[in-house]
Amino acid sequence: MTSAISVAGLTRRYRDQVALDDVSLEIEAGSITGLLGRNGAGKTTLLRILAGQEFPSSGSVNVLGAPPAENEQVLRRMMFVREDQAYPDIRVGAALRAASWFYPNWDAGLADSLMADFDLRPTKAIKRLSRGMRSALGIVIGLAARAEVTLFDEPYAGLDAVARQVFYDRLLADYAERPRTILLSTHLIDEAAALFETVVVIDRGRVVLEAAADSLRGVATTVSGPVLAVDEFTAGRTVWNRRRLGAQASVVTVGQLDEASRARARSLGLDLVPLTLQQLVVHADGWPAAPEAANLEGVGA
Amino acid sequence: MSTLVKVARYHMVQPYQYLALTWGILAFTFVVNLVIFGLVPVSHPAAATANGLASAAGTDGRYTGALSCFFIFFLVFGVQSIGKSLPFGLALGVSRRSYYAGTALLAVALAFADGLVLTGLQAIERATNGWGVHMSFFRVVYLLDGPWYLTWLTSSVGLALLFIYGMWFGIVYRRWSLAGTVAFIAAQVTVLLAAALVVTWAHGWTGVGHFFTGLTAAGLTGLLAVLALALLAGGHATIRRATV
Repeated sequence: MTSAISVAGLTRRYRDQVALDDVSLEIEAGSITGLLGRNGAGKTTLLRILAGQEFPSSGSVNVLGAPPAENEQVLRRMMFVREDQAYPDIRVGAALRAASWFYPNWDAGLADSLMADFDLRPTKAIKRLSRGMRSALGIVIGLAARAEVTLFDEPYAGLDAVARQVFYDRLLADYAERPRTILLSTHLIDEAAALFETVVVIDRGRVVLEAAADSLRGVATTVSGPVLAVDEFTAGRTVWNRRRLGAQASVVTVGQLDEASRARARSLGLDLVPLTLQQLVVHADGWPAAPEAANLEGVGA
Repeated sequence: MSTLVKVARYHMVQPYQYLALTWGILAFTFVVNLVIFGLVPVSHPAAATANGLASAAGTDGRYTGALSCFFIFFLVFGVQSIGKSLPFGLALGVSRRSYYAGTALLAVALAFADGLVLTGLQAIERATNGWGVHMSFFRVVYLLDGPWYLTWLTSSVGLALLFIYGMWFGIVYRRWSLAGTVAFIAAQVTVLLAAALVVTWAHGWTGVGHFFTGLTAAGLTGLLAVLALALLAGGHATIRRATV
C-alpha cells in the first residue's frame, strides 16, 4: 500500500486568510478519493498545490514520490481538471489534440466516445460552450489522458443529471479497466458517494475527516420519535444535533449501534435513519471541537 | 518529441492568429497601400530630396510604415501566449520552465520564419521597382535596407524581441494583475529616466549621440539581440512563481 499523494503540515496563507492550515493526508495509489467540504473550505487550493499550480506557504507535498512544483517527472504523470479551467481561443477538437500530445496514454477512442456521450462537437469554439459543456470538455480530457494521478475539481459544474451519471459510469468503467489514483472534489456528495473508496473532508482549511467510505456507513444515526423515548435512548450517547417539534424529537447520535440498541429503539417506537455522507459533511464543522472527534477518527482508521 | 517542441506546437494547435490573421491583415494593408500609391503620382525629384532620409538611403522614398503593425502583432502574441494559453498549458502537466522555454522557442522560430518571408517580399519589392508604383512597403530606411541576410536577421531579431517583451508583460499581468503591470511600466520608465539623468550629469550626451549615429543596422541588431536575451532572462525569473 503506497501513497500516491502525501501531504504533511501543508499551510497556505493568503494576505488576510489561511486557506489551508496544517493539512496532512495520505492518498493511496489506485483509489478514488472524495475531497469534500464547503465553499471556501480549501479544496481547490489543495488541488492546485498538488498540481503544482500554486505554491505552499509551508509544509511538504509529495505526489508520486516527489514534490510536484516545477517537477516535470511528476507533472507529466498528472492531470488536473478544474471547474474554472481557462482555455486559449481554440476549438474543442484543438484542445483535445493538444492534450493528446502531452499524455502518452491518451486514449483517442475513449475521448471520441465520451464526446458522443456528452454531445460535444469538436468544431465548436470553447469560448462559445455553455458552462456544462465546458465541464464536459474537462471531463473528456481528464479521463482520456489516463494519467496516473487525476485530480478533478468540481468537474461537473453545470452538467445535467444525465450527463453527471454518464461521468460516474464512465469514470468507474475506465477505472476498473485501468486503476489509477483519482481525487475528486464535489458538492454533490450523496450522488457521488458510491464512487468513493476514501473520503477526505476539509473545513476552514483543516482536514476534519479522513476515512474509508465504508467505515462511515452507520457512524451516525438520526433517532426520532417521542421526546421521552428519544431522551431515554440517547442518554449517555454522544449527540451532535437535537431538534424538537412539539412532543417529537429528532437527535443525531454518533457511534455504531449494535443489535441490542436497535432492538431497544424498536421497542421504544423510535425511527433509526443512518446519516448519509452528505449529512455527515454538513455536520463537519462540529467535529474538531466536539469531544467525539477522537472517537470518529478511531472509526475512520 | 521534446516538451519544448510540444509547447511550441501547443501554441500553434490552431494557428489562425499566428499565421492567417497576421498575414491576412498585412496582405490587406499592402493592397490598400498599393492602390493608394498607384493613385498618387510619383513626386518630383526635388520633393523626393526634401525627404532627406529617404533619398540618402537610396530607396524610392515613399514609405508606408504599415509594416510596423506586423511587428506590433508579435508583441500581442507574446502577451497572449502567456495570458491566454498558460493556464491550460499548466493543466496539461507542463512545468513553468518548460512552458516558458517552449514559448520562447516558438517566438524565435516564428520570428525567423516570418523574417525570411519579409526578406523575400523585400527582394520582390526591389526587383519590381517598388511593386511598379515606387512603394517602399517592405523596405524601411536604415533598419531594413541592407543586404538580404541583414534584413532577415534584423527583422527576425526585432520580431523575437517584441514577442519576448510581450511574454514578460503577460507574466507580470498574471502574477500582479493591472496594478503590477502599471508598476512594471513605471519601473521601465524610471530606469530610462535614471539613465538619462546619469548621462546628463556625466555630460555624456555627445558620446551617446556619436554612439548611435555611428551604429550600423548590424550593430543595432546586435544590441536588440542582447536586449532580447535580457528580457528573456527577466521573464524567466518572473514566471517561476506564477500561479494559475
